[in-house]
Parts: sequence; structure tokens; C-alpha cells
Amino acid sequence: MYDDNYLWDRSGKVDLELKQLEEILGTLRYQPRPLEIPASIRPGRRWNFSPALAIAATIALVALALGILLGLNRRQIRLPDEVRQSLPAEKQRDTSPKLSASPEGPKQIVAAKSTLQIKSRHREINRNLVARNPVAAGNTTQPELNAAEQAEKEQLMLALRLVSVKLNFAQRKAQGAPLNTIRNQHPMG
Amino acid sequence: MYEAEATADLLLMSKPLSAPMSKEQPVEAILVRAVLAGERDRFARLYEMYSPMVHGILLARVPHEEVEDLVQDIFLHALRKLHTLRDAAAFGPWVAMIARNRAMDFYRGSHATVEITEQMAVEKPVSRSAREILDLIRSLPEAYRETLVLRFVEGMTGPEIASRTGLTPASVRVNLHRGVKLLRERIGVVARP
Repeated sequence: MYDDNYLWDRSGKVDLELKQLEEILGTLRYQPRPLEIPASIRPGRRWNFSPALAIAATIALVALALGILLGLNRRQIRLPDEVRQSLPAEKQRDTSPKLSASPEGPKQIVAAKSTLQIKSRHREINRNLVARNPVAAGNTTQPELNAAEQAEKEQLMLALRLVSVKLNFAQRKAQGAPLNTIRNQHPMG
Repeated sequence: MYEAEATADLLLMSKPLSAPMSKEQPVEAILVRAVLAGERDRFARLYEMYSPMVHGILLARVPHEEVEDLVQDIFLHALRKLHTLRDAAAFGPWVAMIARNRAMDFYRGSHATVEITEQMAVEKPVSRSAREILDLIRSLPEAYRETLVLRFVEGMTGPEIASRTGLTPASVRVNLHRGVKLLRERIGVVARP
């Protein structure tokens, strides 16, 4: 079997061919040359982020974010201006909804509390985002009209319909569409 | 022991380092930390230790006349980027990778390449010059080139190649064995059974 110890670490029996290769190729060996380092070249700065530091920074950021969030919430539940003005000066300074046994204005405080409750309830449910049932809301009651008012209303509705038809006619003419087409109907068969 | 490393060890012993000396820590790790701590002159010792390896890696890939300047460039680049080296003891494999990448960049430019053909390989069976044999080594598969150049040109042993480049000793041994077999065939010497 071929003994490659000389090839591996120059131990064992000398392989003459390999030794010849070493001698020939050794002429190309690296000739030591001093490294010229320009004064401007310096190793960059290493940022040592320890895991503990990273965790501390994360906690600090979370705390900061929570603080900002709570601060914004407090601003939102401020009392309305008219209630504030009705409150005594001490209460005006403190806008938080504290209940105290102040003999001067218990009614105002109760009013403030109820306003605050209503305000906070409004804040909890954004009415703009909730589907409304007009029947349940009770907004369907229309004022009763007398005969003259009813006639005026009908005239107005007729005029609006006429204007609408004329506008449609003008629009189709402008678009170059045939005027006698029946729209909004699917072809049969 | 490898000459440059022995020199570096002697230099290390002659001057106290700011970093604590430890027998378990490789020399490279101590030197890298010292350079990062501001002792820039310590980098010259890393250069002494690893410039033959970088030279060999480049010689296996780029023309001989370009290698000297590229070695300097690579070490200057390594000095600039030394802070990005996570494991200070892995300086060797790191700088070897920089050298390989730089050699690839060299051919990405407009440099002309000379393809080694089979015809050229069999023209002169024996008594070849160093350049010719080097060209034949360059014609071998990439896995063998670098190992053969480090072994025969730079005079490193298998274990030294493994420790410097970060390759496993088994890989180096296989690359040496198969590479020499192929090289013998190309040179014209009948390979051993």
C-alpha cells in the first residue's frame, strides 16, 4: 500500500518525486516582505453588545412606550371645558376623576363623574365603525306635513327626477352611446 | 514548528501584552485582541504568521506577478475589518476566506485568463519549470489546488495546512492524496497503484 506519510507531514520514507516537486516549486515560495500599514488605516470599532445590555435596553423601550401610551390615554379622558369651569379651582387643577367629600360642589362633581362615564363609554365604542340600525335608533319618525307642504315636496321630487333624466341623456350623448338602449338589463337567451 | 509562528512566539514573549496571557488561548486570539485594543503593531505578527498561507491561496488562483501586491491588500483589508471577526482564534480561516474572495474578484474584472489545456499538459512530460508545474496544479480541480500549493510551494505540512485554513485534517489528507495522484498523471509520471 502507498505510504503517504511523507506527503502528509514529511515523516516516514522520503518520496523522491515529491521531494523533487518540493524543490522545484519551493522557488516560488513567499518571500517575506514587511507590511506597510498607512497611518490612516485603523481597525474599526467593535460594538460589544452583551445579552444583558440588550435585554435592559428592550425593557427600557417597552417601559417608555407604555408611559407614552398611558399619558395619551390620560389626556383623552380629560373633563370637558364646561364641566371644568363649573368646578372649583382646586378641581380644575386636578383633572383626574377623583371623588372627594367637598362640601362646595357635590352636584358638580356628580355631574362631572356622569359626563366622564358617558365620555369613556363613547371612547370604548367608536360609533362610526359600528353598523347602525335606523329603526332601532328611533330616527325614523318624520314630521307630519300638511297638504300644501306635501304638494311642494312632490313638485320638488318631480323636478329632481326630470333633471336626473336630462343629465343621463346628456351624458349618453357625450359618450356617443345610442340613446335608445335599454340599460341595466341582461340579454335574454 | 512553522518559522513565522516561531518568530511570532518569540516576539510575543519579548514584549508584555496588555491582554492577559493564557496557555489555552491561541496566539492569534491574543494578537487580534491586542490589535483591537489599540496595539496596531501587533498586526505585523499576524501578517508574519499568515502571509505564506495567503500567498499560497492566491498563487493557486491568480497570476504569480499579481500575488505580492494582493497579499498586502488583503492584510490591509483585514486590519480595517478586524472588528468584524467574531472569534479571534479563527483569524486564519477568516483571512483565508478574504483571500479566496479577493482572488474571485480579481477575475471578475477585465483581467485576461489563460486556460490550461490537456495539450499543454502533455507537451513536456519531465523536467518542467516551477511555473509550468504551478500551471498544471492550477488546472486541477479547485479542491486540490490550494492544498497542493500550500504543501509544495509554501512548504507547510498537512497538519499545518489544516490548522491554518480551518479545514479538517481528514479533508486536507484526502485533498493531498488525490491531488498528488492527479498531478502525477498530468506531469507524465506514472502514478503508483
